[in-house]
Amino acid sequence: MGRAIIKTEHLERVYINGAVKTYALRDISIEIKEGEFVAIMGKSGSGKSTLLHQLGLLDKPTKGNIIIDDHDVINISEKERTRFRLDELGYVFQSYNLIPELTAIENVYITPMARNFKKEEYEKMAEDILTAVGLNDRMYHYPSELSGGQQQRVSIARALVNKPKILFADEPTANLDSASSEDVINLFRKFNQEIGQTIVMVTHEIEEGEKADRIIWVKDGLLDMDKQQNI
Amino acid sequence: MDNNDLKVMTFLAYKNLTKSKVTFMVIVAVMAMSFLSITFFASIIDGLGYEFEEGMIRGQTGHLMIEPQEDELYIYDSAKLVKNIRRIPEVVGVARRQDASAVARHENIEIGNPVLFIEPENEKHVSDYWNSVLVGEYLSQRDTEELLIGANLVKSYAEEGDTQKRFDVDVGDRITLSFSNGFVKEYKIKGIYKTGSRFVDDKIIINFDQYQAIFNSTDDVASNILIALPERGMEEYYTREIIDLGVSEQINQWQTKMGAVNQFVGSLQITNQITGTIGLLTAFATIYIIIFINVTNKRKQIGILKAVGIKKQIILGSYVLQSFAYGITGVIIGNVVMQLLLLLLSIHPLNMPIGPVIPILTTERLMVTSATLILASIIAGFFPSKKAADENILDAIFGG
Ligand SMILES: Nc1ncnc2c1ncn2[C@@H]1O[C@H](COP(=O)(O)OP(=O)(O)OP(=O)(O)O)[C@@H](O)[C@H]1O
Ligand SMILES: [Mg+2]
Repeated sequence: MGRAIIKTEHLERVYINGAVKTYALRDISIEIKEGEFVAIMGKSGSGKSTLLHQLGLLDKPTKGNIIIDDHDVINISEKERTRFRLDELGYVFQSYNLIPELTAIENVYITPMARNFKKEEYEKMAEDILTAVGLNDRMYHYPSELSGGQQQRVSIARALVNKPKILFADEPTANLDSASSEDVINLFRKFNQEIGQTIVMVTHEIEEGEKADRIIWVKDGLLDMDKQQNI
Repeated sequence: MDNNDLKVMTFLAYKNLTKSKVTFMVIVAVMAMSFLSITFFASIIDGLGYEFEEGMIRGQTGHLMIEPQEDELYIYDSAKLVKNIRRIPEVVGVARRQDASAVARHENIEIGNPVLFIEPENEKHVSDYWNSVLVGEYLSQRDTEELLIGANLVKSYAEEGDTQKRFDVDVGDRITLSFSNGFVKEYKIKGIYKTGSRFVDDKIIINFDQYQAIFNSTDDVASNILIALPERGMEEYYTREIIDLGVSEQINQWQTKMGAVNQFVGSLQITNQITGTIGLLTAFATIYIIIFINVTNKRKQIGILKAVGIKKQIILGSYVLQSFAYGITGVIIGNVVMQLLLLLLSIHPLNMPIGPVIPILTTERLMVTSATLILASIIAGFFPSKKAADENILDAIFGG
């Protein structure tokens, strides 16, 4: 296992609501290595999602720094952060968050399209990745015509189509039945093992966590336990 | 923003529009109806105003009206003047008239009334009396014993609803006219006319040369000379041409002779301005609101697109483009329907008491209405999508 691809330094995220201050993250310093499959676990409200949002550049920490692939991704412009999300990161939400007006393949190729690939290229990229997640027969369906598990696989395809440096997933199986959940975790495993995809996944399920290389436990916005495991 | 950005922007706009066909149709229908409600009513009012003016032009004033110099009762040497004016290229018609009044009597009814002396043939080119004869016939050049009478003076042809004194006569009956100088003569009703214009349908019309017979004047005087031009808007040019002939009499353009009609049409136009402006504001607000709601509902989608790395300008552009598409389609459909209505109503004019009214849609109104509605839709698309695109990604997606 190689170099650190994510490094956080004393991350803090405070929500201020009038007089009420909520410390979602207090002081998180971690390193994640290239090719690692990391599970983030902890009780509800412990700060898992907040941490993932910071790492996925969907939100900005109140204090501290994040280095991804040797780039400072905090002290750069919004435009550059957007560019970074497009080129280097993939994000899978709990509730899929597909664009309802786009078919499965369009949901997937919208980002390579935005990256200036030619039509034949981005279509091929989307077809390949949809095939890899087992949806080659559902490419022209709209999200409303797909099951939850299928929608989640489309969203994984969307997150992976640009071969991102890191794939983030926030409770990707929480809305799925156990069979579909297993499919998703197996897909993650497969991408991690076959192409060395770095994955950071938040989960509640200990069985899912156990399929990762490493579990980072979060408690009250602080690092609680960091456990390497041998599979 | 480069070419590829434009491509993504157009793609997103296109997909959104075509996937939500019902939304598209509803918004476009509202736009088209707003367009129609503003333009249609206004065009009827404009048509009404035009018809009033046209009624005056074709009955009272011509496009130009030559009148005696101040302090004079008559235009002298009028035959020669008419001949000269005829020589100006493209003058449609020139006709002399005399005005007088008389007491008209039939059986035991007497009515004091204006009498108009016309040259029947020349008059055909400056007014509509000749083709407004309801029963009987129009005057011929040689008729000395006949008159035309306006429908408003005749019981069985007048508009109902008032108690004005009227003759119970028909074509062929006789009416005695007594003039101010004591001259009395009996005339036979040759025709009853109705132009539809209230202001001219209450006259008695006899031949121009009767004026000389009645008032012992020379044959070369006239109270006024009416001139018909190819169309409105050429009055200034022809006024100058006539002045160049050495005419020293007053040359009046129809606008200055309208009097009450002018004020009435002016009031109509002001009313139209006000309702038009209110209509535009209402349409602006309506369109703003429906597009605003539509885009506000897309807040989550905007957040997702940002999350996967689509540039803010692309997202914003795609929504503005969608709104523009609503605007332009609504305006085009509104225009097409409006043109069809105008076409239909030019074939079957609205029959109003003042006569047939054909709606008129001015280019200016068309442009202003179209531009306002399109602008409203663009603005309505811009602000909520800008707001959503500027907001924190997580708030947009999860609704903070
Ligand atoms: N937008 C917000 N405003 C205020 N407080 C917030 C906001 N988002 C999260 N929090 C608070 O921050 C803390 C951490 O929230 P977070 O969503 O990261 O928890 P989590 O570990 O993902 O929980 P769960 O397992 O339920 O998803 C919680 O106390 C939460 O109430
Ligand atoms: Mg969470």
